[in-house]
Amino acid sequence: MSKPFLCAVVLACVVPCVVAAEAEDAALDLADVAPQAAPTVASDWRLFTELAAGQTTLRQAGAADTSATTQRLSLDVAFDKKLSPELRAVFADRLDLTHQSDAVGSRTVNTFKEGYFSWQPDARRVLDGGRINARYGAAMGYNPTDFFREGANRSITSLDPQDLRNNRMGTVMLRGQTLWQGGALTAIYAPKVADAPNAGDWNADFGATNNRRRWLVVASHQVADNVNPQVMLYGDERQPVQLGLNLAMLMGDAAVGHFEWSGGRSKTLLAQAAPLAPGVSQDETWHNRLATGFTYTSASKVSLTAEYEYNGAALDQTVWDALRAGAPADYASYRQWLQQRQEITTRHAAFVRATWQDALVNRLDLTLMLRRNLDDQSELTWLEARYRLDHAELALQWQLASGDAFSDYGALAQRRLIQALFRYYF
Amino acid sequence: MTWLRFLLCAAALALAANVPAQTAAEPNAQAMLQASDRVRNTDRAFAVTVTLIEYRNGQQTDTSTLASYAKSDPRSGQFRTLIRFVAPARDSGKLMLKAGNDFWFFDPASRASVRLSPQQRLLGQASNGDVVTVNFASDYRAELGVREEIRDGERKKRDSTRLDLSAFTDNASYHRIELWVDSANSQPIKGKFYADSDRLLKTVYYRRYQKQLGADRPTETVIIDGLDPKWVTVMRYTEFAFRDVPETWLQRDYLPNFRPD
Repeated sequence: MSKPFLCAVVLACVVPCVVAAEAEDAALDLADVAPQAAPTVASDWRLFTELAAGQTTLRQAGAADTSATTQRLSLDVAFDKKLSPELRAVFADRLDLTHQSDAVGSRTVNTFKEGYFSWQPDARRVLDGGRINARYGAAMGYNPTDFFREGANRSITSLDPQDLRNNRMGTVMLRGQTLWQGGALTAIYAPKVADAPNAGDWNADFGATNNRRRWLVVASHQVADNVNPQVMLYGDERQPVQLGLNLAMLMGDAAVGHFEWSGGRSKTLLAQAAPLAPGVSQDETWHNRLATGFTYTSASKVSLTAEYEYNGAALDQTVWDALRAGAPADYASYRQWLQQRQEITTRHAAFVRATWQDALVNRLDLTLMLRRNLDDQSELTWLEARYRLDHAELALQWQLASGDAFSDYGALAQRRLIQALFRYYF
Repeated sequence: MTWLRFLLCAAALALAANVPAQTAAEPNAQAMLQASDRVRNTDRAFAVTVTLIEYRNGQQTDTSTLASYAKSDPRSGQFRTLIRFVAPARDSGKLMLKAGNDFWFFDPASRASVRLSPQQRLLGQASNGDVVTVNFASDYRAELGVREEIRDGERKKRDSTRLDLSAFTDNASYHRIELWVDSANSQPIKGKFYADSDRLLKTVYYRRYQKQLGADRPTETVIIDGLDPKWVTVMRYTEFAFRDVPETWLQRDYLPNFRPD
């Protein structure tokens, strides 16, 4: 072996080791001077304010689009405290002050999200009473087992499903839960509190969430490693008992698959939305609702969720086309009815959400959301860049609804939106 | 010839006497790994506060504080951990549960429990597996590597034994680990963690040993990124305490009810 070659081999072996050792020393030097953390006590309060300003392009039927500026100031507060070892109090509320520079004008909407007491006589039994956000569902874009979502959103500030979940009202209910190793049984009874929703600025709006008697029983048990299904029975005085199933399973180190299903005898959505419409059958037949997909996370912190959504009670493509071409009043009442219930408009839909955490620079998160109606091919695209500071967040959002006139997303009043947000956590 | 025979017999006797003696003195790699686990963790359920300070290119870029509640599973010997985010304010009250290979995340704002894959990260550089309590011996098979003198996290020379760990369960977060432990007392000193592709993911130093929960335990780990050594996370452990962690806390359905005293 020649001397130069030997030297090269030795250098190739030694130099990386020396460089690594120096880098490790530098890291340890940094750790030596890292600030000593002051003891932090978890706060019982969670409070933030959000300021938003943007411009929206509004669709005008039979006329050119118009544009308007929008402003919003929101205050979101949550309180969660143990009053004694057995008793806990929870409260959450949100106030939205919005202004749009057209006929919509200014609005004040207060959303009383939660207010309940929780009693835990021991670690295996829990009894809750009050307004509770009982949220179920393994899927991300459409949750057919989230039975208490109907009428829960008073003020919609974003079409991102995560925001819709965060900003919604709970339902007045009595909830009991018993737990055992690997499983739980939950029973919920939600009484009728008021007859109809109330749009009053400061109204608690119990009529939106508690306008009839309902109940839910949920059982779950870890049947095997990685398999912990949730089985549900839902009763509603307006329809026969519905069944539900939630399952989320690991698919290797980087992916989670989800399957959410509900089914039972019910009228079609059109029959429920227009009970007096001629030619619409009011028969109750078996319908399945489904959302299934996966979330994959790459090593570079990109998470991609893709989901297929199906509602057997929704309109198929033929009836949807006929409704779009028919009386505008029927079309409008069907759309409004669906929006309240957060149902998908037609049988088949797709949902994609991709988030890139610490994208390009540290603390910057990029999110893309895409909803597509697979029956009329209309789309909703939503993009967000969010930068996280210690106590604040800055975000830029852009939204585009595209499709034919009277299609699922093409008919949305807000065709385009761009807005900047500033959120401050106290 | 007699002398030669005598020498041969003496050598044979010495060898015969020495073989069992060497076997008895040979350290058992798996036992050393278990001892090393016992230095980092206790057998009893406990709580600890974890502060993560993240640096990029020498600048502090992020800080988080977590409250951790850990309890070992008598069936698998592995820990189950419930993590509650304390700071920053935007994350306060969020929960992460690790039981076996199941990771669940609960957000009090949406009241939603979402299943996570091991690769999904809630924090910056530190993986979910880094912040939960883990017994390596439950998921890795150890073999003895070299015995060598290395510098520890305090830059002191330590007589160490390198244990070469290879994953034998699906719950293991890493394909293989090189773990240097003190040859005398099995205290973990340093680890190198590798991906399936055998790429170095991170180097970790266990340091600042203090008397906690009845034994000398590391109260700080320094995580150095394998690709970018200027990406450093310091994890500080404070407020150690033995505490009761009921079994029901360690399952998804309890997460909405969790509110520690």
